[in-house]
Amino acid sequence: MIRSFALASLFAAAPIAAAAHQLTVFASVDCEVVLVEAKFSNGNAVQQADVRILDGQNTLLTTLPIGQDGTLSIPLDSVDHSEGLVIEVDTGSHHNYWIVTPDDIARNCQS
Amino acid sequence: MHALKPFLAVCFALVASSAVIAQDRPRVVAVNYALQYFAERLVGDDADVVFPVPADQDPSFWRPSIADISMIQSSDLILLNGAGFATWVDRVSLPRSKLVNTSAAIEDQFIVTQSITHSHGDGGEHSHEGLASYVWLDPALAIAQAEEIAAAITARNLASTDEVETRLEMLRTDLEDLDADARSALADLQNVTFIATHPRYEYFANRYGLSVRSLEWEAGIMPTEADLTQLRALAEETQAQVLIWEAMPPAGAFEVAAAVGLQSIVFSPLAHGAEGQTFLDTYADVISAMAEIGTQ
Repeated sequence: MIRSFALASLFAAAPIAAAAHQLTVFASVDCEVVLVEAKFSNGNAVQQADVRILDGQNTLLTTLPIGQDGTLSIPLDSVDHSEGLVIEVDTGSHHNYWIVTPDDIARNCQS
Repeated sequence: MHALKPFLAVCFALVASSAVIAQDRPRVVAVNYALQYFAERLVGDDADVVFPVPADQDPSFWRPSIADISMIQSSDLILLNGAGFATWVDRVSLPRSKLVNTSAAIEDQFIVTQSITHSHGDGGEHSHEGLASYVWLDPALAIAQAEEIAAAITARNLASTDEVETRLEMLRTDLEDLDADARSALADLQNVTFIATHPRYEYFANRYGLSVRSLEWEAGIMPTEADLTQLRALAEETQAQVLIWEAMPPAGAFEVAAAVGLQSIVFSPLAHGAEGQTFLDTYADVISAMAEIGTQ
């Protein structure tokens, strides 16, 4: 690594270090549920956050609280997932998202 | 009307056949313009190369739609930049067999940009190091990315190995020539300090031994009074002579910079393409503009 640029500028800020990057969101899917997992980059599970579910047109379908263990299980039959889903997790200070496509759902349903 | 029928039939057949051809062509997706340019040079007409980010959005932070991701998932090859560029790639499922990290071979040359200290939740205070991600602005690293792309194209049989090798040799020559021109043109600028409106030029500066300090301005808009206060402070501290604009600012912005004692240069960092110009055109124009400063 070349570190000559480290702290080279008082004003320099790396794009990849934006606050949103510090919250990791992952969603896996099978034929019945979307399982959302959210944790901070230090490995700690998110304990309080809103989980927003949006459809393929970016329309908000529902907002649900995340569980104490940083996970949330969303039954597929409770949301219109025909055009895929966008899962947004918002802790108030950090937010991030995961995109589930129709192919993701179909592929995991077949496996 | 009867005379028109054969003509219309031929037109219909042509349109239909071209649609089939377009559908049948393999598709390569690139996460920035630079990679799109390299891929187009290497794959020729054997595949469509798509860079899906709208022109008004930063490819580093672009948030794709579900339809965008569906299109990308169904592509034949997905060219990643690495070095943390394009945060969306970590927020979707992408088929590993189609992914290529074009900077995998040059990770030992990545530039660490800074360390941010903050805290959240009950995790306590901690730091995150960042990486400069505009690696393609160093032509030697751009060649390494092009080599990765060429290998990925031939490994997936998207074009013939001989043709890709020939095209790679031509691209390598172009980038080596560009590098030689830049090295010559920028040789007299070792004592000039540049200020950039955004931290994009770490690899460029490193390649040519230039001193570039960075602000955090929005691209293409008039600087605010707070921005100008930062600029004056940094210009005074560094005795900088030149301000590098990431994108063409509104009319009057160059005069504002001149009032701080700075000449202005627009240097698109090529994450997006410039209209009517290739990667090489844009780069060569910037070198010429910088060389003029060296002669003043």
